[in-house]
Amino acid sequence: MQKVSVSDSPHVRGKRTTRGIMLDVVIALLPAAVMGCVYFGWKALLVLTISILGSVATEVVWQLCRRQNIREIFRSMDLTSVVTGLLLGMTMSSNVPWYVPLLASVFAIGAVKMLFGGTGKNIVNPAITGRVFAFISFQAVMISGWAAPRIGALGGAVIDMQATPLTNLLDPTKGVGAMGVSNLDLLLGTGVMGCIGETCKIALLIGGVYLVVRKVIDWKWPVLYILVTGLCSVLFNGAQWNLFLPSILSGGLILGAVFMATDYVTSPSSTAGNVVYFIALGVLTALLRKYTKIEVVSFAILLMNLFVPLINTYIRPRVFGAPGIVERCKLRIAARKAAKAEKEGQAQ
Amino acid sequence: MMNAKRFRNISLDGVLRNNPTLRLVLGTCPTLALSTSAMNGIGMGLAVTFILICSNALISLLRKVIPAAVRIPAYVIIIATFVTIVRMVLDKFIPSLYESMGVYLPLIVVNCIILGRAESFASKNPVLDSACDGLFTGLGFTWALTLIGIVREVLGSGAIFGKELWNFRIEFFGSAAGAFFVYGLMIAIFDGVYRSIETSMRRKKFYRQADAVLAGCGDASMIDDCARRDRAEATATETHTEEN
Repeated sequence: MQKVSVSDSPHVRGKRTTRGIMLDVVIALLPAAVMGCVYFGWKALLVLTISILGSVATEVVWQLCRRQNIREIFRSMDLTSVVTGLLLGMTMSSNVPWYVPLLASVFAIGAVKMLFGGTGKNIVNPAITGRVFAFISFQAVMISGWAAPRIGALGGAVIDMQATPLTNLLDPTKGVGAMGVSNLDLLLGTGVMGCIGETCKIALLIGGVYLVVRKVIDWKWPVLYILVTGLCSVLFNGAQWNLFLPSILSGGLILGAVFMATDYVTSPSSTAGNVVYFIALGVLTALLRKYTKIEVVSFAILLMNLFVPLINTYIRPRVFGAPGIVERCKLRIAARKAAKAEKEGQAQ
Repeated sequence: MMNAKRFRNISLDGVLRNNPTLRLVLGTCPTLALSTSAMNGIGMGLAVTFILICSNALISLLRKVIPAAVRIPAYVIIIATFVTIVRMVLDKFIPSLYESMGVYLPLIVVNCIILGRAESFASKNPVLDSACDGLFTGLGFTWALTLIGIVREVLGSGAIFGKELWNFRIEFFGSAAGAFFVYGLMIAIFDGVYRSIETSMRRKKFYRQADAVLAGCGDASMIDDCARRDRAEATATETHTEEN
């Protein structure tokens, strides 16, 4: 007689751990981080280091205050704070004073992640919120005072400029021509001023492809977000199609779309919910960019993160085995036809 | 006349146990708007305290005259009278504070702390009790507002009571978002401290009672036994709450 073993669920366990996934994200971020250091020099490296160390230290100190064993803390550390620190550093200019990344990372990990219960419990993305915190607190250094990249048209000019290509693009008095850089420059980041991790789009895209290949993220959502933003930017500005590529390739859109909006914890759980979420993100980004004239990807993602519980309440993932939307429609049509036929039968 | 125990209860209720800002979460709007600096907090707190004392006393005096059906309009008229007096006095004597309080000064009329004390206390208690309740509730509001104001002023504009400390400001704490953040943290900290004090006081009371009971029996070993069990129980509940 064959033996049947009975066990409790879950019956199938995945091999992927949070730490493994986060390691993939760090690897995917590395090209852009390295290119940031190449373009902006040792100052960029310093900002990244401070913000990573700040994040990790905050988490460790928090755990120590919760009276946990130090060895246990490091054994169970899941690298999410490293990702948060790295992302946070990449969303800042290399010219910010040392305390900006430090305070922002302490806020991101302490107030946004640990206060709500640690990894997976935060309601908004810690890195995004850390950036917004820095943006509100230290506007003067976050919004202007960009460093000129060492490679490209500016050739490491000593003067620090006030406007990135995006702010030039958004200025209605200047237009597309005022950017001073071509689309190819925007893609490579040569001669483009901006945050450390956002200027070299090609490195970000390579990282994104790596994440897609490793099945960490779904390629559809970043692409949807980026395309909707581009289209809306064109439409909101009277169908100027030459705005499409520059509005996609400038600013932090690709960084936000690939690495921040796709955060597991703060994006909807269902496919339909994700469609709503990313389209709304795109429209919001283009709209806010048009009217505030600053880079708003972080604000748009923060705002939409807060809508995710609402989206999850109304748009739930399909229960395994239950009919989907299309099948439900078919069933309803069939039922209506049957009712009609029965009525006609009765009439006869 | 009011006895000492009743006075103690009313004062502790107003300042700590039923602190309007940190435990009842009333008067949130002026708390968030006027805690940008310590001075604003004190000004607002004292204005509210004065109005609370006067309105509580008057409402308590009139509590048997005011018909129940129109009591809220009657309270609002009484409160509005005192708010108008405070506005005129501030405008004349401390114009800078009057300016900085702006629209929130007339809005004290609909402040839910004052209306709440009128409805839940002054309308049921004698005059002296009500005035006392107004004083201590107002002081509870004042210290909470001042504390939030100090935190926000030091972090948000690098100053304390208008005196500059250093040239470093985190503007987040001066903004509305920072107000919510600091306010929330304050509530959490106050609640944590309050609870731990309450637990330790209850434990002390228990020991005292146990001592009194066991002193009659004259068996010292029983007291030790009792204390040990109580301590074990306390640690068990503590670990339990931490898990939660």
